[in-house]
Amino acid sequence: MKRRLAVHAAFWAAGLLVVRVALVPAEACPPVTAARVEQAIVEAADWLAGGMDAEGQYVYGYDLGADEVSTGYNAARHAGVTMSLVQVYAATGEERFLAAADRGLGYMADRLEQGDGWAAWGRSAADRPTGANALYLAAMALRREATGDPVHDEVMRRVGAFLVGQIEPGGAVSASFDLLAGAPVPGVHGAFATGEAAWALVLLGRVLPGEGWTEAALPVIDYVATARDREEGYISRLPDHWAAYALGDLPPEHLDETRLGLAARLAGYFGMRLRFEAGRTGEGVNLALRWYPGPPAGVGTAGEGIGALHALTATQPSLAGLRANVEERMACTAGIMVERQVTAAQAAALPRPDLAAGAWFYRGYTQMDGQQHVVSALLAALPIVEAREGRG
Amino acid sequence: MNGILLAAAYLGAVAPPRARLGLPERPDGRGRMGVIGGGAVLALAGVWALAGWSGPLLDALEVAPETFRLAAGIVMAVAAMVVLARPRPAEEPEAKGALAALWPVAYPRLLRAEVVALALTTGAKEGAAATVAAAGAAFAITVALGALRRTPFSDRVLEGIGRLAAVLLVLAAVFLMIDGIRDV
Repeated sequence: MKRRLAVHAAFWAAGLLVVRVALVPAEACPPVTAARVEQAIVEAADWLAGGMDAEGQYVYGYDLGADEVSTGYNAARHAGVTMSLVQVYAATGEERFLAAADRGLGYMADRLEQGDGWAAWGRSAADRPTGANALYLAAMALRREATGDPVHDEVMRRVGAFLVGQIEPGGAVSASFDLLAGAPVPGVHGAFATGEAAWALVLLGRVLPGEGWTEAALPVIDYVATARDREEGYISRLPDHWAAYALGDLPPEHLDETRLGLAARLAGYFGMRLRFEAGRTGEGVNLALRWYPGPPAGVGTAGEGIGALHALTATQPSLAGLRANVEERMACTAGIMVERQVTAAQAAALPRPDLAAGAWFYRGYTQMDGQQHVVSALLAALPIVEAREGRG
Repeated sequence: MNGILLAAAYLGAVAPPRARLGLPERPDGRGRMGVIGGGAVLALAGVWALAGWSGPLLDALEVAPETFRLAAGIVMAVAAMVVLARPRPAEEPEAKGALAALWPVAYPRLLRAEVVALALTTGAKEGAAATVAAAGAAFAITVALGALRRTPFSDRVLEGIGRLAAVLLVLAAVFLMIDGIRDV
């Protein structure tokens, strides 16, 4: 009998150890204050704005180990960072971020190709990428909302027309426009261009109502909800944070069962990603089983995706059950990312403090979109953290 | 998880036919009903405690109930594979007298790892009352099967139905894993 008891005790001890280490490590959510979240946002936005050159181009990336600034660049990331800086301006009112965003917008305006009723920017002479133009439009629309300044209205309409022209009959979105052929590139669909286009058109519909822009986005959103993953060959559902933004900003009268179902699914994917991230320590056995704490852009996109859906959990009864968990994931992610950010004091001891302070690194490398996505995620989390502080 | 799925999950996890093969018996091959009934009550009390305290326990472990659901699904899937590979439970010594209700009936026949994992996850999500009801139904079937007289033929039938229960457990495990992945 005693031997059997010992065998069972050993089985449970080993089993519990495996379950704890491999399946359910502690999900650490460092406590964080609203003031620290706001400080993290400003420091990261300063990293983005401070690294701009005279032409309006941001620092793309920085390798800490090699002490080298990356020479690469990416149009969609340029537009995304600009959009994020506008979000920071809207939240903080700090004029330097609007000035930086305006320089980022100017960089894109300098590269605009004018077509028949449309306009689109790009860095190549051969094509115009849909995603970069969608985020360009999103940045202009958010700027319009934050400032009331109509200076970009006509460009917004023309870029909006470009995006509408990229939409295929079934709601798919061509990822690129071939300038030589004068037509969208058929059959090429980007992972994120579709959601980006949908969101940009929804935002355009919000700032220029009554012109049919929101309605133009609806087939794209429905395509994402019902057919995109199958049609475009994704094994699993794509955790598309841009589609989450589109749903979050869609006027309530357009939120039907299909679209709300997509919102619920997306919230689930982002929630799982963020729970997994909370279980990562990057040390010992955890490192072997779960790898390094995730790339900032990956964590940030999940954070901003779930943040984009937060408002829907307050207004849509079918999503109300998700609200507590959505807020928990957002607050947890804010705590994690504030803790992972390089502080000014830490940066002072590094070769290039200006390229380290306020940044998030992944295995010694930081990139502009890492800052962009985490900043957007923290902006979404800030009201949640504030509300929790208010409740004590 | 609705009521039917919950009941099916506990039927798969408790696997009454397989559990029957390891219950204390009288010399005529029928189960010792008093001991089996007592063990079922003890096991149900264990499920109630696990389900009722699942929230604070998972909180203390810093694990979201949604994450634990995924882990519970994996534990159940592994357990189902073991049952499919070994349809007869391992031989266990019996405690003397009424203590046999505790060992081997309540544990290890009824409160197996997969039942414990399931009780923790359904307690946290579906609530203690629904959990106790579903587990109670599965334990009651086990007690009823105690009245069955063991013969070589009945053992083969119990093994076969036990395998079906394992398939049910696999389905429940897959459901929990998907739920754990899709939940926020």
